Formats: sequence, structure tokens, C-alpha cells
Amino acid sequence: MKKTLWKAVVLGCVLVPFILGGATAKTLKIGSMSPLTGPYASDGTDIRNGVLTAIEVFEKEGGIPGYDKIELFAQDTACDPKQAVASANKLINLEVVGVIGAYCSSSTIPASETLAEEDIPMLTPASTNEMVTDRGLPYMFRLCGRDDDQAPAAAKFMKESLNAKTIFIIDDKTTYSQGLADGVKKASEAIGIEVLGHDHVNQGDKDFSAVLTKAKSINADILYMSLQGYSPGALMALQAKRMGVPSQIVTQDAMFQPKFMEVAKEAAEGIYLTYGFTDTTTPEYKAFEEIYVPKYGAIAAYATYAYDAATVLLKAIKATGSTDPAKLKAEIMKMDFDGVAKRIKFKENGDSGSTYIAFIIKDGKFVPYWHPEKGLLQK
Amino acid sequence: MDYFLQQLINGITLGGLYALIALGYTMVYGVIQLINFAHGEFFAAGGYVGVILLSYFTGRGYLDTHPVLCLTAAFALTMAYCAFLAIGVEKVAYKPLRRESRLSVLLSALGMSIFLTNALMLTQGVYDKAYPSELFQGGFQFGSVTISYLRVMILSMTVVLLIALNILVFRTKIGIAMRATAQDKIMSSLVSISSNRIISLTFGIGAGLAAAAGIMVGLYYGSVRYDMGFLPGIKAFAAAVLGGIGNITGAMLGGLIIGMVEIFGAGYISGQYKDVFAFIILIAVLYFKPTGIMGENIDDTRV
Repeated sequence: MKKTLWKAVVLGCVLVPFILGGATAKTLKIGSMSPLTGPYASDGTDIRNGVLTAIEVFEKEGGIPGYDKIELFAQDTACDPKQAVASANKLINLEVVGVIGAYCSSSTIPASETLAEEDIPMLTPASTNEMVTDRGLPYMFRLCGRDDDQAPAAAKFMKESLNAKTIFIIDDKTTYSQGLADGVKKASEAIGIEVLGHDHVNQGDKDFSAVLTKAKSINADILYMSLQGYSPGALMALQAKRMGVPSQIVTQDAMFQPKFMEVAKEAAEGIYLTYGFTDTTTPEYKAFEEIYVPKYGAIAAYATYAYDAATVLLKAIKATGSTDPAKLKAEIMKMDFDGVAKRIKFKENGDSGSTYIAFIIKDGKFVPYWHPEKGLLQK
Repeated sequence: MDYFLQQLINGITLGGLYALIALGYTMVYGVIQLINFAHGEFFAAGGYVGVILLSYFTGRGYLDTHPVLCLTAAFALTMAYCAFLAIGVEKVAYKPLRRESRLSVLLSALGMSIFLTNALMLTQGVYDKAYPSELFQGGFQFGSVTISYLRVMILSMTVVLLIALNILVFRTKIGIAMRATAQDKIMSSLVSISSNRIISLTFGIGAGLAAAAGIMVGLYYGSVRYDMGFLPGIKAFAAAVLGGIGNITGAMLGGLIIGMVEIFGAGYISGQYKDVFAFIILIAVLYFKPTGIMGENIDDTRV
């Protein structure tokens, strides 16, 4: 008898927080998906930090009416499609109202199909592959640009600004890097740059000496480096410099990460890359910088986009006072405001477009160099 | 021809690094018949201790004034640290299971590998750590073949370490004791060789070599990251099996072969298949000679 009583007391104690919790605190749950471990952990961590910053800003402004707090469930996808689907299922079970993510296109695509079964809105800050929005999912939004915008911009830049006649392309066989490499190949051929070769490396490689020796012997005007993440990119740039590969290196948005220069150091100097244009002089950007930098360090490629993605979602919830996906979508489609990364206005398919410009790495900084309409931005 | 020579040098460099890591696998297997899956993590830990020490030296300005001394100190301290780490890992994760089935030790090794990788990630962060790049700038130029000083340093260091290991195993008393333990633990303990000490020593030496490879990889490729141990670990394990696991000369040979095949596969066919070629060679060799190139360890070369 005593034992039973004891058990009942323990059980009661265990249950109290649940009962009380259910009655008083109401939490708005949102999810994020990005690689927090594995080779792309740094970009993935930036995405999570961007979302956290957005939540912090909203809570400072008084939160969202009807909710006591906003909670983020950050999932680790490890840039692995299987794990991405598992994360999506986990977020569905947690009953999140929306998801920011993922990073790798190869994760975003399968995860979005799982989330779509439950009509949970997904806003990707970083997946640039065309298929992300081209499948016609109703609640898929994209804050960054598309590869089929980036590839022609890169080709145009190489032709007009660098007078390139020949190009050698290297990718690492991810959905993103290979898609972009194929796009650059097609765009280059279309405007008369001769493609002298297209080789692949493996994810996780550290040694690129074989493929770079090949690049050196082919000696194209441009070495186009299409790799998933800054880390292999920095290693390749460093090795290319040490091996004396004479080609000019041009690369893409995944290298827009201050850590790239930290690793590649002087080998990074003079490398060009294409990246969505962000005006760093706007008050929105400055405000973001003030909160983000002291807490998480330098702003890298996708923190701003993740912040904007979370802002779009939270704004929509605040404006509609509901978490119904159809209402949220209607609200998101009406949006037209200056985000941190760019002006946010969605198209019918969920894309928000991006103007790709070329940057040059100079004195360890990304300096805007060329604009597709305005031409050279500086000498 | 120049192209071939350049690729040959690339292959030897990479192969030498694989060989250094493979030795740890093969030595441990020789003594306690365990595939130490945590071995790749000693390599990663070596890379990290190296970068911490060298950054410290650079910060104090010692690296500019005494480059050779700094490098020697970095190598010595790192190798010692990883040797002790490996001995500790053996004591914690493998020794209590020595009488259990092989499978439980193997699982313990896998667990240790995951634990060490994550410990490295949590303490050192997910970002790449860059090595000081001031060392060994420039290189020799023969026609269009470039050999950087850094590469010369790495190759000669590898050769020195391999020779030192051979002398240790085949010319010293400790080496005799190691080989005796590998052949028959009970018999060797009857002639008062402490098998516990020999096992610790074997783990220490193997991890020390892997740590040296870790610093060299950091110096050569410019940075280290917490998950760097996984892929080279797998490749080096393949190299050890290819050469005949348990056999020291086999591990060196296996490392060189895997490195060469990778580089030539990438250089002459396509980079995307380089791992495929390495493993095709492995499968082909094992198909015809299941014990690896240097055969099963029945003679006294086994450690």
C-alpha cells in the first residue's frame, strides 16, 4: 500500500510540469534544417545562427501575440538526404509551423516532399538547385538565387570581364556543385568559351594534386571551381597556387565565407566568385550586423538569408495571427520589403530571385567587382 | 613525360602519408588481432595538436627565428601526446575487453572512433583550422615539374620515420619483444616479456606515426578539420589489408600502392573514380591472394 502511494506521488510529480505547461505556456515552434556536423557544419551553423538572430529580434519586439515564446528546433541534416528526411519527420512530430532549411539541395529536395505531405511551409536560405522550386510544391519558398541564374552570370562575367576563351571545370558531384558546373559548361559553350575539360573530385577529398596537375597541363584561361562548401575550395585554391596552376580561378556562392581566406590565405587573393548581390550599407544589414557579429562572429554566406527566411515566416504568422499554411502563403506572397540580404518579393513558384554579381578577393575581403548590367564596379 | 613525373611525385607523397597511418593498423592487428577503428582519430588529433603548437610558436615569433627547432618540437610533442592518448584509449576501451569476443572489442573501437571525432568537434569547433603557411615556401622546378620544399620535407620525414620504425622493430630488443608477443603471447610472457607493456607500446608507436602524418597533412594541405581522420583512416586500413594485415613492410607497400593508384586513376582517367580504382585494386589482390601482398604473418616479420 505504501509502495503504491509512493508510486502515485512520483507519477504525480512527473506529470505536473506537463499539465501546468500545457495550461499556461504556449510556444511557437519552428524548425531549422542544416548540416551541424560533417563537412558543411560551418555553413549549417551559420544558418541556425541566422534563424536564432531573427527569433531574438522578434522576441525583443514583443514576440508574437498569443505565444509566450518562440522555440527553434534545429535539426542536423549532415548534408545527407536520408538524414534530411528523418529530420523532416522529426519536425513533423514536434508539430512545428514552418521550417527554415536545408543547406544542400540534395537534402532540401527530399525533405521538402516529406514536409509537403503535412503542408508545412519550408523556406530554404541556401539551396540553389533549380529542382527545389521547379517541382511545384505549394509551400516551398527560396530566399537565395537559382543556379540557372548564377551559371549564365558567371559565364558572362568570364567572357566580358576576363576575356576568357577556354575553361576547365571541376565539381565534387553533389546536386548543387554538379548542377552548377553543368550550367556553367552550357552557358560557356553558348557564348563561345571553349570547355577544355570537366573533371570531378569526391566529397571529403583533401588531396587534389592529380586533378590540378591535369588542370595545369591543360592550361585553360579559367579554372572553374564548383565545390560544395568553402573548405574543399580553400584547399584546392591553396594547392593550385603551390603547384603553380596558371589559370585564373573563378568560383561560386558556396565560397562566400570569410573562413575561405583564413585557410587559403594569400592563395585566395585575386580569385573571383559569383554571389547574390547584398547591399551591406542598408540600415537592415547594419542592424543585423550589430546583433549577429558580437554573438556569432563574422557574417558568412547564408546567415543573412537564413535570417530573412525566418523573418518572412515569423512576419507572416504575426500578420495573420494564424499558423494555417494557406493563410501564411497568401501573406508571404503579398510581402514586399527590404530584408537583410536583399529585397524580398516572392514569385508565383516560390522563388524570390537574386542578382548575381562577381566579387574579387582582395586583401582578405570580398570586394564587389562586376555587375551584369553595370559592368565593372571598380578598377 | 613531365605530366607522368608530376603525377608520380603526387602519388608518392600521398602514398607515403597513407603508409604512415596504415602502420598503426597493421602493428596493432599484429599484436592483438584488433582492427583499431579509432586509429584515424589519432591522425586527426595529431593534426590539431600540431596546429595548436605551431600557431603558438608563430604567435610568439619563434617560428621565424628558429623554424627547425619549432618544427622538431611540434613533431616530438605531438607524437608523444598522441602516443599517450592511444595508450589511454587502449586502457579504457580495449584492455577490459581483451578476454571477450573479438566482436565486442571491434564495437568498442568503433564507439571510440565516434567519441573521439565528436570530442574533437566539440572542443575545437566545426570550422577548419589553418596551419601557418610561412614555412617552406617555394620549390624546385624541373621543366614543368614542380616539387615544393614542403613536399621534399614531407617525403624525407616519411622516409626517416619508416626507417626508424624498421630499425626499432628488427634491430632492437624492444622490437624482438614486440615480434615475440605478436607470435605467441603466452610463450613470450613465459620468458618475462610483459604483454601489457608491449601492447601499450605498440599502440603508442602506431599513434605517434599517425600523429606525424597528421601534422604533415596539415602543413601540406594548409588546414585541418575535426572529421579529417575518417577518410584517410579507411584508405590506410585498405592499404594495411592490401599489404597483408599484420605485416609492416606490407603496410608501407600497400600505402604506396593505394596512393599511386588514386593519383594515376584521377590523373589519367577521371577524378570521380579515384576511390573506385583504389578499392578495385584491393578487391582484385584479395581475390587472388586473400592474405594480402606480403602474405599472412607466419614468419618473424609480424608485429
